[in-house]
Amino acid sequence: MESYKQEIDITLRVNGVEYRDQVPAHMTLLQFLKEKLFLTGTKEGCGRGECGACTVIMDGRTVNSCLVLAVEADRSKIRTIEGEAKRGRLTALQKAFIDYGGTQCGFCTPGMIMSGQNLLERNQKPSRDEIVEAIAGNLCRCTGYELIIQAIEAAASKKGK
Amino acid sequence: MIMPFAYVKPGTIQEAIEALQTDNSWPLAGGTALLVDMRDGVKRPDLLVDIKGLRELDSFTIDSKKGITIGARTTLNFLVENKKLRASCPVLAEAALVTATFQLRNQATLVGNICKASPAADMAPSLYILGAQVVTTGPRGERRIPIADFMIGPQKNALKKGELVVQVEIPPPPKAKMAFLKKQRIKGHDLSVVNVAGLADTESGTLRLCVGACAETPVLLEGTDQLYKKTRDLGKLGEQIADLALSSISPIDDVRASADYRRDMVRVFVKRIVSRICS
Ligand SMILES: Cc1cc2nc3c(=O)[nH]c(=O)nc-3n(C[C@H](O)[C@H](O)[C@H](O)COP(=O)(O)OP(=O)(O)OC[C@H]3O[C@@H](n4cnc5c(N)ncnc54)[C@H](O)[C@@H]3O)c2cc1C
Ligand code: FES
Ligand code: FES
Repeated sequence: MESYKQEIDITLRVNGVEYRDQVPAHMTLLQFLKEKLFLTGTKEGCGRGECGACTVIMDGRTVNSCLVLAVEADRSKIRTIEGEAKRGRLTALQKAFIDYGGTQCGFCTPGMIMSGQNLLERNQKPSRDEIVEAIAGNLCRCTGYELIIQAIEAAASKKGK
Repeated sequence: MIMPFAYVKPGTIQEAIEALQTDNSWPLAGGTALLVDMRDGVKRPDLLVDIKGLRELDSFTIDSKKGITIGARTTLNFLVENKKLRASCPVLAEAALVTATFQLRNQATLVGNICKASPAADMAPSLYILGAQVVTTGPRGERRIPIADFMIGPQKNALKKGELVVQVEIPPPPKAKMAFLKKQRIKGHDLSVVNVAGLADTESGTLRLCVGACAETPVLLEGTDQLYKKTRDLGKLGEQIADLALSSISPIDDVRASADYRRDMVRVFVKRIVSRICS
């Protein structure tokens, strides 16, 4: 056992910035983002893969950061909600969420935006069914989803309101 | 909270086998089952052996003569997105698409799904009807284990200490109709209350069905070929296969459904699969 370590050195890029750190093996990527980098936009709802509030993009694919260890993110590129708006300019999707009322209490919103943005980058003209499937792992207690779906549809067709 | 443990990400199978001989060590694939078990205190590993650095687990091949191999690093979304697999063996892609959520499928592997050995594992029934073999390696060398001998009980697989799964191998799928259906409590993502996979090949008179979440492991029905050859009437065949299924399973009451409800749903879903693949 001596040869296997509980503290591991990692290097990763988060929203374009490189970070090096030593982390305990049991630290999740979600904890690393919130507690080490103070990127508190990503939320923890359930901590067990059910709610999607913790969704971030890792090497181009969405993951539940509560079920990824920080060490597993070694050498990866991570995108979180903090990196979406560039110099205070919201993305088309963020604007659409505001315009269409796709956000109410806001707890699910960072995860929803990451799932929605990832969908739009994979598929520029998603059907309604494809949108529903892409956000099926993101739970929202407030909006009833309809306005979120409309916001993603609007961002895909780039029509403001 | 997840309790502290050590972590290693070997670059070779040999190193991985060595690490897995450590007491209380577990392989880590996508982690979507393992990390939840650790959070719940069901598993308290001293060492996690991350197998995502092992190139040998990467294989993914489809060959009309040799069949299909799916390496242990293959994720469920890879299966959903692979066009060749959709064409030659759509049932696997179909099952993967209704397993967990999009984010989870980016991490979750097919091999992790059967290693976890949940009776409700959604990838398992298709592997049963396809006659899949699980290829393992370990301190004593390689083994090939038929899927039904690999999943041996709830949360229990046939791996011995130090062993890991390299890949799953599927013989060339017959030009048959196949389908997978899953009954869940809600429209969103949920574990199966009942799941059923079926395969029907009119030419050879082969009919295979496997029912999940209704016994300690998925159950491959025996005697389906005879019924298929004997019975012309589709409605009658469905009833006969459903009777056979009900006499082969032993469902229990749990948080997701009662045993009675499961029995009712098995009848509905077996008939539905039969009418879909035998017509
Ligand atoms: C919210 C949520 C929803 C889910 N929904 C479903 C669902 O609808 N249907 C379903 O079937 N499952 C579901 N699951 C369970 C899980 O996501 C799947 O079983 C998944 O396929 C597991 O794969 P993994 O790669 O993440 O496995 P891991 O969590 O990495 O591993 C699972 C187990 O297998 C072992 N293991 C993994 N790979 C190997 C290997 N190569 N050799 C030896 N042992 C190995 C691990 O040690 C561990 O014990 C869900 C999970 C969550 C959190
Ligand atoms: S906090 Fe990660 S899925 Fe709920
Ligand atoms: S806006 Fe409140 S949970 Fe979605």
